[in-house]
Amino acid sequence: MAEAVLVGIERAEHFESIDQQREAASLGMWAWLLTELLLFSGLFLIALILRIQHPAAVTLATTHLKFWIGAANTAVLICSSFTMSGAIGLSRLGWQRGMVGCMLATATLGTLFLGLKGFEYYQDYAEHMMRFLGQPYALAADQATRLFIDVYFITTALHGLHLITGVSILLVLTVMAGRPNFLAQHQNRIEIYGLYWHFIDLIWIIVFPVLYVLNR
Amino acid sequence: MTPDIAGSHPLALWPAAASRSATEVDHLILAFTGITLVLTVPIFLAITYFALRYRAGRNTVRRHTEGRDVKIELSWMLIPFALTLGFFLWGAIIFNTELHPPGDSMEIQAIGRQWMWKFEHPGGQAEINDLHVPAGQNIMINMISQDVIHSLYLPALRIQMETLPNRYTQVWFKADRPGTYRLYCSEYCGTDHSKMDGNLTIMSPGDFANWLTEAGSTQSLAAIGARLYAAYGCGGCHNDNARVAPSLAGIYGSEIKLADGTTTIADDTFLRNKILNPDTQKIAGTKQVMPSFHGILKEDDLTHIVAYIRTLQEPTQ
Amino acid sequence: MSPSDAVMRDPGTARPTIDRPADYLHEEHTLRSWFFSTDHKRIGLLYLASITFFFVLGAIAACLVRLALIVPDGTIFSSDTYNKLFTMHGVIMIWFFLIPSIPATFGNFLLPLMIGAKDVAFPHLNLASFYIFITGALFTLITLVIGGVDTGWTFYAPFSTTFSNTYVIPALIGVIIVGFSSILTGLNFVVTIHKMRCPGMTWFRMPIFVWTLYATSLIFLLATPVITIALILLVMERAFGIGVFDPRLGGDPVLFEHLFWFYSHPAVYIMVLPGMGVITELVAAFSQKKVFGYRFVAYASIALASVTFLVWGHHMFVNGESQLAATVYSLLSFAVAVPSAVKVYNWTATIHKGSIHLDTPMLYAMGYIGLFVLGGLTGLFLATLAIDAHLHDTYFVVAHFHYIMVGGTMLAFLGGLHYWWPKFTGRMYPEAFGRVGAGLIFIGFNVTFFPQFILGYLGMPRRYHVYPPEFQLLNIMSSAGATILAAGYFFPMVYLIWSLWYGKKAPANPWNAKGLEWTTSSPPPTHNFLNTPLVDFEPYGYENKAPEIG
Repeated sequence: MAEAVLVGIERAEHFESIDQQREAASLGMWAWLLTELLLFSGLFLIALILRIQHPAAVTLATTHLKFWIGAANTAVLICSSFTMSGAIGLSRLGWQRGMVGCMLATATLGTLFLGLKGFEYYQDYAEHMMRFLGQPYALAADQATRLFIDVYFITTALHGLHLITGVSILLVLTVMAGRPNFLAQHQNRIEIYGLYWHFIDLIWIIVFPVLYVLNR
Repeated sequence: MTPDIAGSHPLALWPAAASRSATEVDHLILAFTGITLVLTVPIFLAITYFALRYRAGRNTVRRHTEGRDVKIELSWMLIPFALTLGFFLWGAIIFNTELHPPGDSMEIQAIGRQWMWKFEHPGGQAEINDLHVPAGQNIMINMISQDVIHSLYLPALRIQMETLPNRYTQVWFKADRPGTYRLYCSEYCGTDHSKMDGNLTIMSPGDFANWLTEAGSTQSLAAIGARLYAAYGCGGCHNDNARVAPSLAGIYGSEIKLADGTTTIADDTFLRNKILNPDTQKIAGTKQVMPSFHGILKEDDLTHIVAYIRTLQEPTQ
Repeated sequence: MSPSDAVMRDPGTARPTIDRPADYLHEEHTLRSWFFSTDHKRIGLLYLASITFFFVLGAIAACLVRLALIVPDGTIFSSDTYNKLFTMHGVIMIWFFLIPSIPATFGNFLLPLMIGAKDVAFPHLNLASFYIFITGALFTLITLVIGGVDTGWTFYAPFSTTFSNTYVIPALIGVIIVGFSSILTGLNFVVTIHKMRCPGMTWFRMPIFVWTLYATSLIFLLATPVITIALILLVMERAFGIGVFDPRLGGDPVLFEHLFWFYSHPAVYIMVLPGMGVITELVAAFSQKKVFGYRFVAYASIALASVTFLVWGHHMFVNGESQLAATVYSLLSFAVAVPSAVKVYNWTATIHKGSIHLDTPMLYAMGYIGLFVLGGLTGLFLATLAIDAHLHDTYFVVAHFHYIMVGGTMLAFLGGLHYWWPKFTGRMYPEAFGRVGAGLIFIGFNVTFFPQFILGYLGMPRRYHVYPPEFQLLNIMSSAGATILAAGYFFPMVYLIWSLWYGKKAPANPWNAKGLEWTTSSPPPTHNFLNTPLVDFEPYGYENKAPEIG
């Protein structure tokens, strides 16, 4: 049976009230996520421009992307968002052990994504798609195909970088969250971090159709 | 022996204008300057006057009424804006003319590269950095860059246009004042960007004809292109009897149906792209077997071959 | 006697101490307390020192450029050196001086004070922003030391990706990193303004400076990520040959121009808006009168931050842009001038029938109005399509943006620095020297940059190391002006530092100005306000007295 823990936030000195602190943290994270969305939007824009200008070449390129690994990864991340939501819900209830369990599950699923992605990159390498590593390029000599594949690598690598960062922070947060009195003083951190995790998921939910699915 | 550049006196505050369009641009900017002064000099005078008249400690009337602020704000927002819009329109109209070369223009091919310009007249006469043109005739420069972005700038004509490395851009003019003027590259392109300049010489038609003869060339651009076309065996597939590849007769300027369902016009950029990257923009109804000439043909060669293709007419029945 | 007098700073004279909290400057003296401070005021001063250092570097580069241009045949430096000089001048001045200048120094210091808060929303993030700035700055310094970069601050492809033989990647990394500093500062300010205003401080009771900081922060948040991804793609292309911009690999260099200018046009408004906010404060304080058309000025700030995102194509009229696009961008560029004009007219109306004090900050403000108007209107010339076809990439453009950046932003920065110097440091600067400095800068600036308008119309392209001999006279004039301008900059640096030890002690409100920052001591206490302010008055309440009849 879980122990009931007092749930709350320790007010920082420069805030007048806890509500002010909560609202500020939330607005801050949403603003950050907006900038991250804009960052990825440049890449989505280029992918879409390539699709519109060179539809045949891009369709050819997408046949070499590992659709089922991508689909599996999408499912993995969606599940991880569920577990993260679970962590948030449990944090509000004060169920510390359950919350920590959900956070570990989220981190595990995130790591699973990275593992699958790494395996996918290995397969791409074996198929001679990594022109930038100097290997002889195996796909059609069409430039647009090569460009699209390169955009695929940059976009998924940037997303992967965010995921690695996310998992690292999550693990640190999990260790901190396991300590006594954490929920009494810093419950808000779980909520705010949850926003970031959902965002990493959201970006992938845009990446997957834009790169893997359209024109397939 | 350096030519006398028109309007190049050290104390000159205004550049020479070599075309009617250039003079019109001058009128535009002078008029705009006039309106600008009308809108701004009162402000400078006002703040100076207010700063002195209402200096702290001076005994003066400072009471003012409130309440008409919104009307004042709206009027000083909308009236200057409306006045300046006239200049937007005038500039857009001139620009519109500048972007549409007349159909009867004499076409000069230009290639910009680090760090020089190569101009080629239709008759094959080539010039490096300098450009001779006849007055009183529409001249269109069709240009491309061989490496980075450059820009051909002709201040006496008040025009410039960038040259890009993957497609042709155009600039056109009709000069009417013979003389020698400056020609520059105005888009920063590396070490010798500022040494990519030359002389634009506008000549009377008679003088220009003489110059063409003296400049000497053995063949026109199209003739050079014909030699290249033969040398690289293009006819092997593209001649009428071959049936392996589309015939090029009359292709320039025609509408082409592409394999993905879209249509495009076969202009210089399209033809150049098909020679370099035949796997792109695949044509509907044909099997793509053309090899790429990337790295084989130089930019000059491409210009000449395209010039030749343009001369290929539909066979008359 | 202000609380700052109460702290015993001079044990030698055995002044009596009064038991009051120390101000933020004197509370702790250790290096650690400065370099790890989360106090927004100390962070503001850290930024001030850093941007001053970079300003000096950028100014040296400028002096060398003007030196080289005294002769038309390029004999003073090699072309490669010259190209590196103007590139470093641009990169340093834009990203390491102008963009952080007013927001990161004055914004950090004054924003919480002006809205009655104890600090910004995220003080630790604020410190992190500073160190991210320093990290980016270090990359740029390293680039400078190992040999420099010669692409121009605009980094156009394919020159930057494929043809330049200089240290492009470290330069790009420096700019990418410093972008994160901007984003986080903008984020901090937006949240602070939304959530940390003291009771009674409604949006329309905030000083205009806060409105402009808000507008600037919106641009920080929305524009900076786009340059970040554009420059990341440049690095990818240069390092790995992933050709999004190189036509030989199937890419399009014009795509880079779009991504670059989508940020860089709003970026110039990052540099302009805070300056406008400062000028509004100066004009109100030194006219002892409330801002005319406060709401219009506030809305104009937001309008500028919005419309600025729609005009980037006016940098690309002659790169083969379609006629329709060019026409639309031209029209929108005319529209974006309207909110700026609103501010200028409102400043003029504020001065009308005020009680004018011509102290140094007001001299800078008046200089700003003149020079900014000239700069802005020459911008309209450039927005006119047929005129831009002649003036694009000439010295006319160089003159235009220096009128805005130096004649505008720099003068606003110096005016604000003098105005708030007593608040930052507790000392007054020497007024006579202040006026001399302002005069030198105004004269030096005009002698340097006005000839460049003429050079541009005559057809002298920008970024030119070698130029036709007929332009030499005007170039020499411009370089001569640069020496006067340099002397002008040197002046305040010297006397402001001098004033730290020998300046008159400043009272809490030496200018009799309105605004919450003036209700604190000079310098303010660490936590800004002993009690949370309660605001039940309108801003700029100068006219709460019977009207004078002369």
